[in-house]
Amino acid sequence: MTTLFEATGVRKSFSGIRALEDVSLRVEAGERVGLIGPNGAGKTTFFNCVLGMLRPDAGRVLLDGQDIGGLPVHRRARRGIGRTFQRIELFADMTVREHLLLADRIRRGEGSLLRDLFGRGGSDADERRRCDEVLELLGLGDLAADPVEALSLGQGRLVEVGRALMTEPRLLLADEPSSGLDREETDALAATLREVQGDRGFAVLLVEHDVELVASFTERTYVLDFGHLIAEGPTAEVMADKRVRQAYFGDVEVGSGS
Amino acid sequence: MVLAAGTGADVLRAVLQGTPPGAVYALVALGFVLTYKTSGVFNLAFGAQAFVSAAMYFQARVEWGWSTVPALVLAVFVLAPLIGLLMERLIFRHLRTASAVSKLVVAIGLSVALPSLFETLTGFSGVAGKTPGGLVPDGANVFYDPLGVYPFSRDELVALGVAVVAMLGLGALFRFTSLGLAMRAVVESPRMTELAGIDSDRVSSVAWMLSSFFAGMAGVLIAPRFNTLMAPDFFHLVVVAIAAAAIGRLVSLPRALLGGLGLGIFIALFRTFLPRWSVDLPWLEPFQDNLTPSMPFVVLFGVLVLWPAIRRSPAAADPLSGVDPPPLSLVSTTRSKVLTRAARVFGVCFLLLVGLTVWFRGDVVWVHLVTQATIMSLIFLSVTIITGLAGQISLCQGTFAAIGALTVFQLADRWDVSVLVAALVGAVIAAVVGALLSIPVLRLGGIWLAIATLAFAFFFDAVMLKFSWVGGGDSSLLQGHRVPRPVLGPWDFADDRRFLVLVVVVFTVVSVLVIRIREGTTGLTLRGLRGSELAAESIGVSPARARMVAFALSAAIAGLGGGLLAIHQENVNYGNNFTPTAALFWVVLVVTLSARTVEGAAQAGAAFSLFNAVILQGAGLAWITRGHLPGFFPLSPKWRFVLFGLASIQFARHPEGLVEHGKRRATVGIDTRLAARRERASSQDANGGEGP
Repeated sequence: MTTLFEATGVRKSFSGIRALEDVSLRVEAGERVGLIGPNGAGKTTFFNCVLGMLRPDAGRVLLDGQDIGGLPVHRRARRGIGRTFQRIELFADMTVREHLLLADRIRRGEGSLLRDLFGRGGSDADERRRCDEVLELLGLGDLAADPVEALSLGQGRLVEVGRALMTEPRLLLADEPSSGLDREETDALAATLREVQGDRGFAVLLVEHDVELVASFTERTYVLDFGHLIAEGPTAEVMADKRVRQAYFGDVEVGSGS
Repeated sequence: MVLAAGTGADVLRAVLQGTPPGAVYALVALGFVLTYKTSGVFNLAFGAQAFVSAAMYFQARVEWGWSTVPALVLAVFVLAPLIGLLMERLIFRHLRTASAVSKLVVAIGLSVALPSLFETLTGFSGVAGKTPGGLVPDGANVFYDPLGVYPFSRDELVALGVAVVAMLGLGALFRFTSLGLAMRAVVESPRMTELAGIDSDRVSSVAWMLSSFFAGMAGVLIAPRFNTLMAPDFFHLVVVAIAAAAIGRLVSLPRALLGGLGLGIFIALFRTFLPRWSVDLPWLEPFQDNLTPSMPFVVLFGVLVLWPAIRRSPAAADPLSGVDPPPLSLVSTTRSKVLTRAARVFGVCFLLLVGLTVWFRGDVVWVHLVTQATIMSLIFLSVTIITGLAGQISLCQGTFAAIGALTVFQLADRWDVSVLVAALVGAVIAAVVGALLSIPVLRLGGIWLAIATLAFAFFFDAVMLKFSWVGGGDSSLLQGHRVPRPVLGPWDFADDRRFLVLVVVVFTVVSVLVIRIREGTTGLTLRGLRGSELAAESIGVSPARARMVAFALSAAIAGLGGGLLAIHQENVNYGNNFTPTAALFWVVLVVTLSARTVEGAAQAGAAFSLFNAVILQGAGLAWITRGHLPGFFPLSPKWRFVLFGLASIQFARHPEGLVEHGKRRATVGIDTRLAARRERASSQDANGGEGP
């Protein structure tokens, strides 16, 4: 396996309060990695540093060994980092298919203004096929023409996943995909994610609250607490780690997070 | 060094000179921040409120011959708070959860509606040269010269005194009363205050009344500065308020106060110490002469663009964003195919019918009106792009149109270029200006983008227009510019009907292009960005680039339309057509009808040009009743502003436009009814089949 993504010594503080302290994290190509930690551990801050929403005070973010720390959000996306959102972010007023179509067009860099002006901006057979494949994979085939406002939260999450898939990411950052879903929906989502990941072979960095989901989905796990990495390793070992149990299960009741 | 000896006194003089206007600015800035922080409304109607109070005072004082005190009590102590209370109770309270941008649009609608509503109700109209008096007689006279460097006029002293008293009063209210304490708490965090058991609705009502009172007071205080009492002049006040509040980063009242004072003094200092470039570089003279009065716009634009902190601070983006749930998404806002098809068929038939009627039976006036309506529809397509598609509120579409119109004039006048070519060049220039403008405001987004475009529109109006290579020099500003009609091969478009055909062709072509853009990748990208900027970025959309494209496209369309308008009127008519406040009405009109569809732009164009003649003058009714009109016709043309201004309040609920919303609901209703009938029919069939 080759190292796909690496963050080294990432540090970030907000007006004196250290949110992240020398956090280093590695994801190999095609690997499923978890990042867990109680509320306020710095998961979201780390996530934002990786994606470019925040600039870390120190440390480097590497994709394929290249420093992407200075790139704006959309450039990182084009390099192959896809994401889903904790608080669902869909394009209001657009259908499910249009979500995928847009992502596909952006990835290919197709569709200039001029093409549009000459009336050649419509979707062709290739595009439709690619969208259909992903829709099928996610079981969204029946909903393709529906506006996203009509979807349930779980379906909305799947649309987010599908949209990210269309950008053909090599690394998918999933930000608390279980939030707002009940057990059953979470399991269904996890099953779909596993299937899709097996099919497409991208790496996943799963930032999660739901320990069960992390335990069942990931191969390796990192644990953050108060901005420090307190454990890392194969998921089963980490889950058994004493410090982790103390930091995580000791303070927060499992599954009751916001 | 004579200059050095004079500098100390110069600074002092400038500070003294800048303090009275600064105090008034501080007053408006305070009022502005008060409502912004308590209800999240970026109240652009502030200037309109100031105007209403000033006009009321003028009316009572001059027309009715009241003495100062009762007139002041009526205008500032009764009317102003009442307006504030009504605005809060009837409108903004119900829009609590709407997005900041939709509240901004509502405020713009009110700023259009309020002055006209007041004028139609009271019969007030500004008379040129009838300068409204101040609070004291003989106000312009020098009264007091404490330090021997700057003599204060009586008006200035009154302004200073009133502002100080008002601020002390506000300070005391905040410091010593429980209501003041609650209000301070609401300003800090509205929802937390509510959780603490304080009725933040009541507090917010009081805040609106107070802020409206400040607006009224400021209006009466600055009224003597204007030659004629007219609403647009007062609109400047709100820009000043935003500039001052922005200096204070919109976070606290004391900072807004300092921002206002600082702005007043800064402008005075600027005026004193501005290097006299024009001695060496005469072509800079218009810039030199007009930069000072337009300073608030420059400061506002500068603060927004150069001060990254302001747009990052979440409080500035939307004070309630952290505590309120996100606005509810609207279900079934997509247009059904049936409606789209029906609209297109109907549109074509309707246009044909109108076209034939006008062609064969219409007189000069009707041909003129329909031509104007078509050109305005074309201009409004630029709003379809920037607001309907990109979801941004741009308040400088008038400026882009003016650039097109002025280009046509300049090219035709100086180099005798064909006006049609010139109109295309104008569109290109407008697109370039739009793209350039989008660079500094790219990252702003939301309300700040709207405000930056407003500042730009005012800057263009106050400074750029004065250059002879832009506006054509002073004389043409008064008299307008001559623009010839085009001749294309055998056709001379001096004939109004031929010109109408040309305009309809151009409109149709641009409409098709707009639809193609909307349905192509560009439209998809912009809609995505409108739906969620965060998500669009996460799949690799560059918001900056997409927005630049939208701005350039929209500016080009506006520029083309502006050029055609000038050709149609054979004159640029900047003052009538393209001022920043005129362009505000455009936005209001389009968002009320529908900013999302081409049809909406066409309706807005028709409403702009024909509403007055057909509805208000009673031509439509007269046609139906064959000439029998009720006695109250013709209605005042100002109802146009009142009706559409008030209707745009609905933008917060129906961003696709009120009329569009109605149509969609109607089609959905018809659809379900048809489906139900079909179902019933088929089930009856099935029953019938089973029966025997």
